[in-house]
Amino acid sequence: MTNVLRKYVSPGWLLVAPFLALVVLLYLGPILNILWLSVTEPQPGLQNFEKLVTSDTIARIIWTTVRICVVTTAFSVMLGYCIAYAMVHAHQKQQHLMLTLLLVSFWISILVRTFSWLMLLGRNGLVNNGLEAIGVIAEPIAFMRNELGVLIGMVHYMVPYAVLPMLVNMQTLDTRVMSASRNLGASGQQTFFRIYLPMTKPGVVAAALLVFILSLGFYVTPAVLGGGKVLMVAEYISVQLLVTLKWGTAAMLASLMLFGVLAMLYLMSKFMKLSTVFGGSTS
Amino acid sequence: MQDKKFMRETLKEGAEAFQSGKLSRRSFLTLCAMAGVATSAVMVGDAEAAAKQIVMWNWGGQSEECHGNAIGQPFTEQTGMPLRFDTSGPLQGKIKEMVDSGNVTADVCDADLFDAVALGPSGHLEAIDYNVVDKAKSLPQYTLEYGVSIILYGYAFVYDTEVFGDNPPTSWADFFDIAKYPGKRSLYKWANGSLEAALMADGVDKDALYPLDMERALAKIKSIKDDSLYWGSGSAAHSMVVNGEVSMGMVWQNRGRNIENDTDGRYKLVMNQALAMPGAYIVPKGNPAGRDMVMKFISIAQEPAAQLELLNCLGMTPSNPEVFADIPEDQQPYAIASALNIDKIAFSDPEWWGENSGDAVNAFLEAIS
Repeated sequence: MTNVLRKYVSPGWLLVAPFLALVVLLYLGPILNILWLSVTEPQPGLQNFEKLVTSDTIARIIWTTVRICVVTTAFSVMLGYCIAYAMVHAHQKQQHLMLTLLLVSFWISILVRTFSWLMLLGRNGLVNNGLEAIGVIAEPIAFMRNELGVLIGMVHYMVPYAVLPMLVNMQTLDTRVMSASRNLGASGQQTFFRIYLPMTKPGVVAAALLVFILSLGFYVTPAVLGGGKVLMVAEYISVQLLVTLKWGTAAMLASLMLFGVLAMLYLMSKFMKLSTVFGGSTS
Repeated sequence: MQDKKFMRETLKEGAEAFQSGKLSRRSFLTLCAMAGVATSAVMVGDAEAAAKQIVMWNWGGQSEECHGNAIGQPFTEQTGMPLRFDTSGPLQGKIKEMVDSGNVTADVCDADLFDAVALGPSGHLEAIDYNVVDKAKSLPQYTLEYGVSIILYGYAFVYDTEVFGDNPPTSWADFFDIAKYPGKRSLYKWANGSLEAALMADGVDKDALYPLDMERALAKIKSIKDDSLYWGSGSAAHSMVVNGEVSMGMVWQNRGRNIENDTDGRYKLVMNQALAMPGAYIVPKGNPAGRDMVMKFISIAQEPAAQLELLNCLGMTPSNPEVFADIPEDQQPYAIASALNIDKIAFSDPEWWGENSGDAVNAFLEAIS
């Protein structure tokens, strides 16, 4: 018996087994509970999932969420790429300064950042008042309390999340490859697009995944900067739980988000080795 | 819930046995470990003390100080039990979760009366004991089986006198009239009050609002969609107005009083057609202090002294009709139930909201998003 166990289970597994069991219990338990709720509340059946096709509201909320998340991801990764690129190529001292600035912005509470945007870009904010004072505009520009406001707030929050994985990726690149490319007669532009960019792909994908998944759960920024008119899935779930007591709908949407993310990871794994994205070796 | 109570009693007995020498130290510690409790907690008697206080679950802010003075002090004097607060906000879903999980930590919730209609019949609330709580000390339509109104709050609106000083708006019809009164508006995000305001603006009589004509109300709301913002908290409503984001804003009437004061009267509160909302005390099923103690607590909150103190401190209007005549002169313009306002206001129907709020909120969110 013991021998059989030894043959199939390496001792390492026995060491982590208690913790693994704990994780399964504490993590999978609640998730299963949510899945269970989604098919049993208020009556057993698939009526909650039916709403995905029958309810225009839910379809629209999901569409809004996906649209905002995709745009946020695109902008965050583009801006983050520039920042990471600049950091890798800066001198050590400047690099430290840039990293510090990045982390400071990373650590500031989301509420503070959200309300700061209102101060800056609100109807009577610094920018609008300034532009009006010098006569560029006659009417305040509506930056905030709409979808644009939500995007500005979310991209700002997400840029550090995008920078960090790309930074790590760029730091591990072998720069001699670029030198070789230049040596063989490629222009700077060609070297960047044909050598550097493909080599940083794992970092870009990791950043995009991270930003997109985090964006899906965004709550505070859309609620404040959207002026109540930009409704995303996370806020809708919270309303169904706390205000309207439609826990079945909430559980259904939560399951949907879970499956959505898992499906995305699965699709991704079809096209590339996910371990490289998450910091494994490139081989 | 039963398990927890059982556990607490077991531990109490264990502690007593240990102290009188009937139980060895080792066995007692094992008992505590099995129950998942630190020994110190049992030794100092926390488990017992938990039942010797009233925990009010409310929304924080100034209310802690105000409720402490108005109700906590007289209650402690009469019963020796202190009043403590949980300020995380007793939303319906949270009350339901607390009772369903059997981990009830609050004795009385400072909630809306319609919550009593939504959660009472499903077994999440204790019924109000009208032998202790006095029916005559609240408006008759606001004394329900599972909840009783202690104060009234209300939805009214403020406007910017610098924009509309010459031709001030006086009704919800003016509020919704963007052509006559240009500028942005702010409304409450969770439908309550906003729907009633829209209906009154559309010509429905203030005494004939219920059952709400959802279609008509939402059509009116949509008519100003591009010019409207929505707030979910009192502070957001306040800042939307004083930051100049809107030229007229729906606010809670006591916030309106603060806005007038903070801006030296630049923004003015309009109480005509304000909607009176019954703020109510509801009691989660199986509350730790027991039903009798909470009923005693609620009866003290009905006393005229407590009612006037809450008005003075929070701007929440008394719901005890005996007190209406005693509302001081300087509070008359802001108090819902004052002689100055009571004929001009509409009364919210908690029965309708209790039964329909889920669908109404979702329909409203669909219309504005």
